[in-house]
Amino acid sequence: MADEDLGLIAHLLRRAGFGASREELEAYAAKGYDEVVEDLVDEERCPPIDEDIIKRYFGGQWPDFQSGAWIYRMLNSPRPLEEKMALFCHHVFATGFAKVAHALAMNDQIDLFRRIGMSNIREILLELSMNPAMINWLDNNENIKGEPNENYGRELLELFSMGVGNYTEDDIKNCALAFTGWTYAQPVPLYPHGYYSPEFLFRPEDHDFGEKTFLGHTGNFNGDDIIDIIVEQPATARFISRHLYNFFVADEPQVPSWNVTPPQDPEAIETLADAFMESNGDMRHVLRTLFKSDFFKAARFKRVKSPAELITGVLKLVGTYRTPTPGMPQYHRAATLMGQELFNPPTVEGWHTGQEWIDGGMLTERINFAVDEVGDASKPGIQALIKRLRTVGDSLTPEQFVDTCLDLAGPVNLEDKTRADLIRFAQSGGDLVFSSNGSANGQTEESTDRIILMLQLIVASREYQFA
Amino acid sequence: MGRPYGLLRAGFPFHKTLGMRRLTNYPIDLAFGKEDRLFILCRNEGTALIRKYSTEDADLGSFGIYGEEPGQVTWPVTILADADENLYLTDEALHRVTIIDNEGELIDSWGEEGSGPGQLNGPSGMSFDADGNLYVVDTLNHRVQKFTREGGFLGGWGSHGCGKSEFNMPWGIAVDEVGDVYVADWRNDRVQKFGADGEFKMAFGESGCGDGQFNRPSGVDVDKHGDIYVVDRGNNRVQLFNEEGRYVQQFIGDATLSTVAISYMMTNAYPNRLRDMAKLEIQKLLRWPQSVIVSEDGLMYVPDTGSYRVQVYRKEAVELNELQFAPPRRAPALNI
Repeated sequence: MADEDLGLIAHLLRRAGFGASREELEAYAAKGYDEVVEDLVDEERCPPIDEDIIKRYFGGQWPDFQSGAWIYRMLNSPRPLEEKMALFCHHVFATGFAKVAHALAMNDQIDLFRRIGMSNIREILLELSMNPAMINWLDNNENIKGEPNENYGRELLELFSMGVGNYTEDDIKNCALAFTGWTYAQPVPLYPHGYYSPEFLFRPEDHDFGEKTFLGHTGNFNGDDIIDIIVEQPATARFISRHLYNFFVADEPQVPSWNVTPPQDPEAIETLADAFMESNGDMRHVLRTLFKSDFFKAARFKRVKSPAELITGVLKLVGTYRTPTPGMPQYHRAATLMGQELFNPPTVEGWHTGQEWIDGGMLTERINFAVDEVGDASKPGIQALIKRLRTVGDSLTPEQFVDTCLDLAGPVNLEDKTRADLIRFAQSGGDLVFSSNGSANGQTEESTDRIILMLQLIVASREYQFA
Repeated sequence: MGRPYGLLRAGFPFHKTLGMRRLTNYPIDLAFGKEDRLFILCRNEGTALIRKYSTEDADLGSFGIYGEEPGQVTWPVTILADADENLYLTDEALHRVTIIDNEGELIDSWGEEGSGPGQLNGPSGMSFDADGNLYVVDTLNHRVQKFTREGGFLGGWGSHGCGKSEFNMPWGIAVDEVGDVYVADWRNDRVQKFGADGEFKMAFGESGCGDGQFNRPSGVDVDKHGDIYVVDRGNNRVQLFNEEGRYVQQFIGDATLSTVAISYMMTNAYPNRLRDMAKLEIQKLLRWPQSVIVSEDGLMYVPDTGSYRVQVYRKEAVELNELQFAPPRRAPALNI
């Protein structure tokens, strides 16, 4: 397979998954791009992750334990898009532990997103509306006949489906009335014996069965009727499509400005919206359309990596945590320091993305993390990379040294100036020469030190921050 | 003293609940000490501690043991206590056995990662035999190995597979009073029984959730009557089998609030109100248990990992002689 194709497959796996080791990348590439897309969007073609292993080695009810287990899934699931769509839903339908304060309810929600993230938008919104964590997060447990709480009704329209400008205040009020009585049964509380999962409960005595008018339709609507109307709206197709574009293709401005700032690629959004409408909101169909599109293939390194993407990409490069190993919660904490606390997005808007992932402090965290991880030559991924470098020849020119490292670490595309800087740095050490029998006397070879340093420079580059 | 000819099983009622969240967080195993002391092993990611506890539900203090230094453990699985209350712990992350005293001071540590004879990869279950030697389940090498207390390698058996004497990530282990060895063959959904030197004797169980079926059995113990207790972790229950491996009954959990939990809740008005609004039936059930330990006096202790407590049942059985218990028969009957 040509290098160009390998780069395209790597692009696909960075976006539709969480990166790939070199070995995984070559295995994917051998299948061909379209087959890999089918494997990703039709998750039944691949086995699920081994749940027995997750349950045996990654227990604990608190969010950082569960987040650690989730990062393990991101790294190791044979169905990476399933996990990526769970993250997409966690971002778009943002719900935070800071208010929910119920770790099992939060984890149940992530499980739900994993299960239905690639289904149909109607199913997603219906399940979301019945999800206890979401109900609590947006106060629908306090939305009762005669005393409506409009929080969920408003966000369902503003952030979860159509976006500002496509409905009226009266639509919000009637939407909220339709969801009166949608609550959850009181679970056994945390003390003294731990969390118990809450379950959805419809309380007819709290539901307003009266007539409602919503988006021009009138009837005795319940919440599911409202969702039926929402998913038929072209505005919903465009809004969800723009979210998908922002998450998978290229950075868009932040969501609150979408009603005044047009998409950077209106044709792409229309293509996705058309796929959405013609399939009645089938997410697999829309994702398949997206990943096979020219605009996606041309969008390499057009998005700033989210912290979760950066961390998992680096871990795939260094080859650790591919089997159960203590310490996964440290990566939850690392993501938090980089501005993405999984299980706890800052607001119902989710995380601000793109360049807002980067400020002085967070960039330092990102670079220090990556540099530390690749700085350990004993890690299996680094060992494998050195071994592959050796196969290029006993002696590599500075250009060969830099370009091969860039290829094996990604492939990573650098701007010409950055590449020239790396070559100039490599030239200061001359050709990279491997000794004939590897390291001697247990000492690290000079070539190994130089390779580690080169990798550290690569992952510290501006370009490495882009997916 | 030999096993009785038969048993009149009078019942196996729930006895009591021990512990609560904050005291016994994620209890995964326990060992009996002197003077009714229990050493409850609590493990979570980044945490490992031993809670000293009385059988009357009183906290006797704790000490943390998490880490990678000698005397510390990272992913402990099993705790055993010898007659001097020295504590033996397997560590499936550091691939070693750690021995500490009852205050947590290091006595010894042995074990080396690998797959050669005497080496370990993910040691989990561990049990003394009558001579004080240790059988250790070497999970990721799919085998059982026997060591002296000092770590001297004495032998072992098993390989990866699903045939007789083969294992798929085995977990718990028990040795009975005659020296036979029982292994919870985790991913094969069965229990295998061996002689002291590893000769295969029997296996029972299959995948499922019915009587005698398992969903990833994790722990096993044997009492003085030869009854076999198996933690059916994926089905959130313990199953009891007779010495021939015939299913007798199951325990799904019957917990009540422990004494310490009741005391704690007396000053928690808000959660008490929420409890009053909730369906409480579920709170009695076992959640993700992984070990079972049976005392000499017939008490069955189940660390109820997911509910931060220990559930205790009491065996009520009368030993029968040949005059009180008819010879074995194959055919069922309706005439009595």
